[in-house]
Order: sequence, then C-alpha cells, then structure tokens
Amino acid sequence: MIVTLINQRLEEAEEGFMRVKLTLALVDRPGVLLNALEQIALNGGNIISIIHRRDRITSGYVPVSINVEFPDPASLERAKKGIESSGIPVIEAEALEKTITTMILVGKADVDTLLRKVSELGSKISALYLTGGAASPCLKLVVEAPHGKLKPLISSLEKLAEEWGSLLITEG
Amino acid sequence: MIRCIIVGYGFLGRKLAKEIAAHKIQDLKLVGIASSKGYLYKESGFKPEDLPEKIAEAQGFKEAPAFELISRELADLLIELTPTNIENGEPGLSHIRQALEEGMDVVTANKGPIALAYEELTSLARERDAMLLYEATVGGGIPIVSLQKRCLAADELLSIKGILNGTTNYILSRMHFEEMTFELALREAQMLGIAERDPTLDIEGIDTALKIVILANSLMNAGKKLNDVKIKGIRKITSEAIAAAKESGMTIKLIGIANEEELSVAPRLIKLGDPLCVHGTLNAINLNLRILGSLTIIGEGAGESTLSALINDVYEVVKARRISTSKNALNE
Repeated sequence: MIVTLINQRLEEAEEGFMRVKLTLALVDRPGVLLNALEQIALNGGNIISIIHRRDRITSGYVPVSINVEFPDPASLERAKKGIESSGIPVIEAEALEKTITTMILVGKADVDTLLRKVSELGSKISALYLTGGAASPCLKLVVEAPHGKLKPLISSLEKLAEEWGSLLITEG
Repeated sequence: MIRCIIVGYGFLGRKLAKEIAAHKIQDLKLVGIASSKGYLYKESGFKPEDLPEKIAEAQGFKEAPAFELISRELADLLIELTPTNIENGEPGLSHIRQALEEGMDVVTANKGPIALAYEELTSLARERDAMLLYEATVGGGIPIVSLQKRCLAADELLSIKGILNGTTNYILSRMHFEEMTFELALREAQMLGIAERDPTLDIEGIDTALKIVILANSLMNAGKKLNDVKIKGIRKITSEAIAAAKESGMTIKLIGIANEEELSVAPRLIKLGDPLCVHGTLNAINLNLRILGSLTIIGEGAGESTLSALINDVYEVVKARRISTSKNALNE
C-alpha cells in the first residue's frame, strides 16, 4: 500500500508537479504567515518546508522561504496573486525543478541550429527522435527547461520552424 | 404572445421553425421566415403543416429582402441564422443591427456578427433595452456562455482553452485511431457531411479563432478582434506526427486558447487522459477560474445539438419578456 502511494506520488511528480521556493516578506506579527499558507493550500500547493530567516529581519520584515509543490504553473501564479492581494510581498518564486516537455516539429529542420538555440536559451534536449524519412520528416524532442524559460524557448523555436516552413507542435 | 421571425432557412432554421410552430415554447408564435430569396409572413403564426421545405415555392412568397420583415411592427424577436461571413459579417450583421435598432430581441447562431462587432452590437442592445443571445455560436449545444454568465460570473475567469471545431477533431481523431493520412480523413469527413466541400475555414483554424474571439470578448471582456488571434491550422499534420505523439501517450488536437497574454489557435499535444482529450466530432471547453480552478465541459459541437442552444436562448427571451410584462401589469 505504502509502495503504491509512493509510486503514485512519483508518477504525479513526473507528470509535471513543480517544486518552487517562495520567498515572502512577512511582517513580524502572529497570524500573518497563516494568510500566505491559506493561499498556497487553496491553490493546490503542497508545503514541503518553511524556513524563517529571523537572522535577516529588515525594517520589521522577516524573510520566509517556503518550499512548495504546485500541480502546474497556473496554480503557482494564482497562489502568488492571492498572497500579494492579502498584503504580503512575494520577493521571489524560484523553480527548484525543471519543466520537462515534449515537442513535435513537422517538416524540414536544421538539427544543429535547433540544438544550438535550445542550449543558448538555458535548456537542454534530453531525447530526440526522427521519423518519416526525407519525404515527410518529423522530429520529436523532449526538452528540459528551467521554470520561466519555457515560453521564450517555445517562441524562438516557433520562429525557427516558420523560417523552415515547418510546424512546431507543443504541449497544450 | 411574443412574435418571432427566422431569417436564414437552412438546416437549423427549418428544425427550429418546426419546434416553434409546434408550440414547444409557450407564448411564442412564428410569424415570418426568410431566406436569401425572399420571405413568408403570417400574422396569425405558422403551424407545422404550413412550413415549406423551400420558401420560394410556397404560397404567399414575397421576393424581397429580409429587411422588410425585420420590423418591430411585425415581430418582437429576430432569430438570425444566415451563414457566417468572416469578411464583414453580412448579411447577418445588418439584420441584427436593424433588429436591435428597432428594439427587437435577437437570438443568433451566426458567428460572423458576434465575432466581428461584439462591442457595437452589445452596446446597441443595452441602449435599446433589447436582448442579444448567441449561445449557439460557440460549442454547438454546450451551454458555455450561459454557464459562465449565470453560475460563474463572480469568480475570475483566468483562461479559456478548448476544442471548438468538430470537423478538425473528427479528422484528427481518425488520424489517431485509424492511422489515416490527413487527406484521407478529410475526404471521409466530406463524404459524411462533417466537413464542407470547401473546408478552409475549419482546417485553417479560422472557425476556431472566431469562436475564441467570441468567448474572450463575451466571458473575459477582452475587446479582441479576429486579427488579434495567432492562427495555425491542421493542414500540415502528418501521420508520422500523430504516431510520434501517440508513442508519448499523447495526441494532437486543434486547441483555441484565450488568456491574459494571448489568443491563439494551434495544433497542440494533449495527454490522452486529459479531460480536454475528446474524440470524433465532440467539443470540449476548459475554463480556469481563480476560485473554482479548472472546469471542463464536453458535448457535441455542431449539427442538431446547436438547436438545443438556440431553443434555450429563445426560451430565455420569452421568459424574460413574460416576467417584464407581468411586472408592468402589476405596476399598472
């Protein structure tokens, strides 16, 4: 039973759970942290750890680092908005994990240029499959991108695909 | 008794006329039907047996533009069902504009006018205290506009994502399950009447783009035009691409997206277990709301199911007018 649960959890993580370190500036007053935690829970966040940096109190604010797992980037964004609208500044939201995503490029492609572009944008290709032969080429890529880097990567690759007269299909 | 006219007497027009003539909605009578050739008018209201297959061959046919019929003196409600014109929305746009100016209520399944002139038409309706309902323009029988406006209006809609075109979904589904080429799946869809003889609007993603504009404007107050949508169709999708997606537990679907950042229509990879991953001619629409989170609604996106959206919009108008008449009577 426990093994099954652990396996399920791992599968969920592989399917796109993202771990994030949220750094908040809390007023040093009881109950303030609770507002932030409520927003995280409301948006499906699973809290892994909380660290109060009392050694770094500045002008009455305590930096608090919370490691959280969110089901998707939209949940993180909603939680950030919720926290900020309850009057707590979010200093930083740093991805602790990378987003792994699949893309398919239909049509011609210059693989060297593609690999260079992915690397230039701080990401890497972890798998690449070519099918269809010269008549109908099709390239499947599994790309690892740090959180926040995926969108610029996709728009750069879309531009390349357009130049080649090909079509880039990304996960929706 | 509310008097309605139907302008646009095609598949949907004929079906709806039969429903109204058979008094499926109380306090409503059908007094006029019009096609591009002319119209028929009957003050006492049409009975099912009075309804012709072709207007031009019926007794009492008047060869004149539908505009003659769109008058508050003759009717209270216009049901506008002429074909979608993406260039300028005509003739539907002028029909709707005239009806609203006359203070008539309007129900339509015509995407053109709503996608191209949403702001103008809704403010005209407000000005004239008229109702303008257009549920049937998006997602066939899926009550997406009513659902959001009546049940979710106080929540914040963050994004809309969906399969909004049954024809392309049929083609992509056949490519996925039967390993057909795009050309073969398209030809099959045309033989079955699912795809038009000229399928450009569907397969180039323009039909989906019109619907995403309607949803963005109507549900998110986005104030967008068709030109604001980044559109990619499905013509370049190959059997190899579908097979590559399948190997990764995914498939390719034509997805319309509206969010704060963009309006787009493009083929996208969708996990086979995703609630949006529906097949055949089905449509699926996902709303992402701040409080509720994710909500997906699935249903037939075209054909007779659109009749359900139309008849419910017509019923809404009749119900609202019945209530306002009773209120007026009480006040008097």
